[in-house]
Amino acid sequence: MSFLKFPFWDVVKHAFSKEVWDVLLPAVWDTLYMVAFSAVITLVLGVLLGIALSVIAKDGVRPVPVLNETAGTIVNCLRSLPQMIMIIITLPIARMLLGQSYGVNACIIALAASCIPMYARLVQGAFVEIPKGKIEAAKAMGSSSAAIVFKVMLPEAIPSIIRGFTVALIGIISMTALAGSFGAGGIGDIAVRFGFNRFYHDMLIASVLVLIVMVEIAQIFGDLISNLILKKRHLI
Amino acid sequence: MSSYIKIEGLYKTFKNKKEENQVLKGIDLDIEKGDIFGIVGFSGAGKSTLVRCINRLEEPDGGKIFIGDTEITSLNKKQLTERRKKIGMIFQQFNLFDSMTVFQNIAYPLKLLGTSKKDIEIKVDKLLKLVGLSDKKNAYPGSLSGGQKQRVGIARALANDPDVLLSDEATSALDPVSTLSILDLLEQINKELGVTIIMITHELEAAKRICNRVAVLESGVITETGSTKDIFLDPQSNTGKIFLEVYKEFRHDNSFTGGEGI
Repeated sequence: MSFLKFPFWDVVKHAFSKEVWDVLLPAVWDTLYMVAFSAVITLVLGVLLGIALSVIAKDGVRPVPVLNETAGTIVNCLRSLPQMIMIIITLPIARMLLGQSYGVNACIIALAASCIPMYARLVQGAFVEIPKGKIEAAKAMGSSSAAIVFKVMLPEAIPSIIRGFTVALIGIISMTALAGSFGAGGIGDIAVRFGFNRFYHDMLIASVLVLIVMVEIAQIFGDLISNLILKKRHLI
Repeated sequence: MSSYIKIEGLYKTFKNKKEENQVLKGIDLDIEKGDIFGIVGFSGAGKSTLVRCINRLEEPDGGKIFIGDTEITSLNKKQLTERRKKIGMIFQQFNLFDSMTVFQNIAYPLKLLGTSKKDIEIKVDKLLKLVGLSDKKNAYPGSLSGGQKQRVGIARALANDPDVLLSDEATSALDPVSTLSILDLLEQINKELGVTIIMITHELEAAKRICNRVAVLESGVITETGSTKDIFLDPQSNTGKIFLEVYKEFRHDNSFTGGEGI
């Protein structure tokens, strides 16, 4: 139903009809699948890359200037690409790896390539925020570099790392919507094909609602977990 | 008695692109076993850098540091990491790990040594008793007062039975009451455990209360060294004299009592 032909409230009401949701629900599952898959990859590789970047940084635990410069440049290059361009660039890679450049799985490569460097920088930021004195205290007690990173820095930074992950997760959700218009399917696909091309505004409203709910849930859960940890540590 | 910690001709310069700042200009010090050795001086005199050179949190540019028979300045990275386990350090900002409970904080250095769970439990309980925080065992540092945090810091520094305890302005962030109790605790540790303590401070009161020997540091140079008594009664150096003046000034300042005492 379009706003052009039907009264406003009828369109809004129709956004909750079975007709709309029969089309939308499979797309929601596709989106959830893409988001979940990309989120796990981003979380694991992003944290690892973030740790690596802060360890080899100039004032890190084990500075490696050459590697730091190289890795930093690559991360910055990946981060400077708009998500849309990243999707286009990774299409051939997806075809090479998966045999097809469309569909849910193909888009995960673009999502990972875009979101891992972004999250890695957030993780790195979380590490930089740890007061230098704590790391010095760990050094003064005779900690190995591994102990400093995994026993001190990581636990100290966990609340910020979780907060950063909320930001990354919301980025992933928004990027899946974009990927939808490049053949990935999911909610973005519905919004473009029905909402934009065919003026099915009821579909558009339903898609928007689903996205809002997803982002809200991500934000609320992220804040909740991070605040629980901070409260347990009596830091808030 | 022969000196236990010996510092010979220590130099340290901080460089950045624009300028070089020579912070330590040939420091010589002899500290005996069992001393509570105070290093006093104004802000920027290089006190902190000096004490941080002892466990090489700062790498000296020149000179030698000995603790016992070990030349700290000649150790490689691995040896240094090992040796550091026997040098305790406490800080102005406490530097406790917020992610760990009081127990876990104190257990951390023991875990580095691979101590068994049971032994850790026994040792930490003993240390908690020593610093008077047995009831805070499972609390997080975030819930403690400054004085309590420093007590945990001291317990953590003592966990590996160090022979030396470095104190980097340990009482400077504390209120006067906590300061006194921490100073008394340090003195008690020195007497009971025989730990040699090197404390740097800009509070003359603190040095006077527990140090048996004091060195005055002025712009990267030791201007005088001697027993606490000598330095307090008859300071020779400029900084020493100013310090004493300021100290007396504070002691006799009755401006807050409206001059009733006069």
